Amino acid sequence: MTTYTQVQKQQRATKRYKKRSSFEEIWRQLRRNKGAILGMILVAVIVIIALISPLIYDYQKDIAGQNIKQRLQKPSAEHWFGTDELGRDIFARVLYGARYSLAVGVVAVLVALVIGVTLGASAGYIGGTFENIVMRVTDIFLAIPSVLMAIAVVSALGKSTLNLMLAVGLASTAPFVRVVRASVLVVKDEEYIEAARAIGMRPWKIILVHILPNCVSQIIVQATLRVASAIISAAQLSFLGLGVPAPAPEWGSMLSSGRQYIRDHSYMTLFPGLAIMVTVLSLNLFGDGLRDALDPKLKR
Amino acid sequence: MYRYILKRLLMLIPVLLGVAFLIFAIMDVAAGDPVYSIAGPDATEEQLDALREEMGLKGTLLERYVRYIGNLVRGDLGTSYVTKLDVMDVYMQRLPNTLKLAILTMVVAVGMAIPLGVTAAVHQNSIRDTVSMVLALLGLSMPNFWLGLLLIMFFSLKLGWFPTGGNQGFRSIVLPAITVGAGLAALMTRTTRSSMLDVIRQDYLRTARAKGVSEKNVIQKHALKNALIPIITVFGVQFSNVLGGSVLAETVFAWPGVGRLVVDAIDQRDIPTVTGALVLTTMLVTLVNLLVDIIYAYVDPRIKAQYTK
Amino acid sequence: MTKNNNGLILEVNNLVVRYETMDGIVRAVNGIDLKLGYKRTLGLVGETGAGKTTTALALLRLVPDPPGIVECEKLEIDGENILTFDSDKLDQIRGKDISMIFQDPMTALNPVYTVGEQIAESIELHEHVSKTEALKRAGDMLELVGIPRSRANDYPHQFSGGMKQRVVIAIALACNPQLLLADEPTTALDVTIQAQVLELMHELKEKYNTSMIMITHDLGIVAEICDEVAVMYAGRIVEEGTLEKVFNHTKHPYTEGLFNSLPNVKDRKAKLKPIKGLMPDPMDLPPGCAFAPRCDYATEACTQKVPTLTSIDEAHRVACIRYDEPDFHIERRILS
Repeated sequence: MTTYTQVQKQQRATKRYKKRSSFEEIWRQLRRNKGAILGMILVAVIVIIALISPLIYDYQKDIAGQNIKQRLQKPSAEHWFGTDELGRDIFARVLYGARYSLAVGVVAVLVALVIGVTLGASAGYIGGTFENIVMRVTDIFLAIPSVLMAIAVVSALGKSTLNLMLAVGLASTAPFVRVVRASVLVVKDEEYIEAARAIGMRPWKIILVHILPNCVSQIIVQATLRVASAIISAAQLSFLGLGVPAPAPEWGSMLSSGRQYIRDHSYMTLFPGLAIMVTVLSLNLFGDGLRDALDPKLKR
Repeated sequence: MYRYILKRLLMLIPVLLGVAFLIFAIMDVAAGDPVYSIAGPDATEEQLDALREEMGLKGTLLERYVRYIGNLVRGDLGTSYVTKLDVMDVYMQRLPNTLKLAILTMVVAVGMAIPLGVTAAVHQNSIRDTVSMVLALLGLSMPNFWLGLLLIMFFSLKLGWFPTGGNQGFRSIVLPAITVGAGLAALMTRTTRSSMLDVIRQDYLRTARAKGVSEKNVIQKHALKNALIPIITVFGVQFSNVLGGSVLAETVFAWPGVGRLVVDAIDQRDIPTVTGALVLTTMLVTLVNLLVDIIYAYVDPRIKAQYTK
Repeated sequence: MTKNNNGLILEVNNLVVRYETMDGIVRAVNGIDLKLGYKRTLGLVGETGAGKTTTALALLRLVPDPPGIVECEKLEIDGENILTFDSDKLDQIRGKDISMIFQDPMTALNPVYTVGEQIAESIELHEHVSKTEALKRAGDMLELVGIPRSRANDYPHQFSGGMKQRVVIAIALACNPQLLLADEPTTALDVTIQAQVLELMHELKEKYNTSMIMITHDLGIVAEICDEVAVMYAGRIVEEGTLEKVFNHTKHPYTEGLFNSLPNVKDRKAKLKPIKGLMPDPMDLPPGCAFAPRCDYATEACTQKVPTLTSIDEAHRVACIRYDEPDFHIERRILS
């Protein structure tokens, strides 16, 4: 009985699949998932905030400018999230901070993506000694806890936003190498790859045209979820004073200064943390939904 | 089995050498030539040279690396630039604190994750499932140092139940353990759930039910043991991360562990301490990973069969 | 135990099972009646998807819920109405009074316990003996199914398919059940092993006086070991009776189709005559006789009303309205 209905369902699924393009199919799956839609909307809102915040606020005056007379004010109609120890409006700084977190998260993941996909794909495709070396080095990177790894890289390169991106990126490269290599290994010996090789296609083109499209959904999902964890890593480093330098309104460094005043001015700690959580939560919701939509096998 | 363990231990050596080299090289770039700042601006070239000799800074990167490894094998990680203390001693003094925190953290995480994940899987798509999954998602999305700050705000400052930090007996470890444990619990709950969902449809559970095994035992005895492998994997990875990566919680709660040691040493450009602590921590992490692989064999006879092959 | 059970080990009236899924309602079993006497063997025959396995699971009350919904007017095993049993009481009879051999031995055994432990578990649960005693008896069971007892400490992955099926049989028979449900016990096995396993089951059944329902799509197996036959199609029984009646005096066009799809060993040049078309989607059953769309004898009337099982004689019943016509007969090839 069960086998029969499964077959029927599969037949129906294939029918459906053939009728629509794969993009429409993914969109249809995604739309059914309320969490994913919520995540997507929130991500869109945060991106818009990040884009337009420089139009609303003047960096020198509203974000970095000090106003000692107004320091440490509790949340009010004038200052929705209160003001910090230098009299700066926390609401404005939290909004503006989205720029830093998103930029660091996205660039770090791009760094990881480019290095990871290149190494993973070539390791899987070329094989042999090269693959061995790449995978052993990946093992080495994986053996070092990623926070410590990022800390070491930042301290080697010096504290700056760009180095923070690099550090977080390098620390999250290894998983990409693994994922991509694994999917390359799966399809590498398929006959259509043989065929491509037989007609004299160049290896890099085979990888680009025939192999990578097979794992693109996995890579997209990984990337979305990694942006979330990169944002947390960046905030952690900034909290430790190794990230975006002051006076930039990075959420992690805002938490670090808020911590000094936690006893009497807890709102300073509350709002930047909430901002990190909402951002990461939206990315996770969206990423989870995307994973379910791209790989219905995983969906429960 | 023993041969497998031996083989794995031997395979660890190149990884550890690689890790040590990587850290050594990064720290070398970071440090530049530290003799100028140590000897002061008035030092002559001969004095600087003597200092380099004394601090073991002579030679190329590779020469120094080989020398470092030679000393490491004898248990000598050099002395701190700042405190002049033996790095190995300092590390060993911090390690118990980190281990204590790591173990309690894992207890918190496992204690929350397994029941939540199993319930969520058994009652898939029910209210309990939804609540567990929302909790897990929140836990996963919350930066743990922020959670730590919130816990301090509420339980230490408002209620006064626990100290805000330091290391004074059991009460000081509770909040740090929850801080680190919550995020891990979230991840493990999700793993437990999805792993259980894979197992719960298997035919052998039907066989067990047909034998007259009670539903409780079908889940606890037959299903859970099969679902354990992915859970142990995540457990191992997370345990490793906690050993090296609870820097943030250690900072928030002023917990004198290894992570804090590394961050402080970086601040002070204390290269031997940073290198030594990172190398030792990574060794520890690698050993934990090996231990996890060995545990696999005891949970799943098929894996054991692979090992002994 | 003396009970008012009319000499029947199993009596089922109007069993209905449906699965309510997101995509629709799957009507797996649509009102079947079964009666089985002590020590008798009933062959439940039909194509994959006819609802045979679901029927067996329903007898054990193991249809997963959700999505499965079981409705039944009467379900008595050895005179006990198990519809009223709570889960504790069900656990007590499962494996002891009624047990099941599953179709796929590759997946039916738990990979992380030794086969000895898996056989012993049943003994320990039902006979209330110590673990050591249960393990010892598990060893006996292994020997009974032809596996050396030294292998009790091995894990399922160390056994071949045929050996695993023997273990599954050992588990099912560990507590001498009165009723054994065998769900295609040989389908997943090589032909040579099939014969061995069948032989073994037959022997054990004789030895322990077990009643059995043999679920299969293999008419050869039915001929070999069954006393009675019920042919299932799309969740209904379309023909039932003694082995002799159903095999030699076939009435239903579907049963005829099954026989015609068998290769004829005596006449190797004869063409196979498969049943045309496919079993209907159980989410979307046709009105009237479910077999009508594939039936050579079907008339307009066949698509109107679901036919009921009607007695031809004492030991033979068929569900086909064409038999209302006095002259109707099918043209079955004679096998002999």
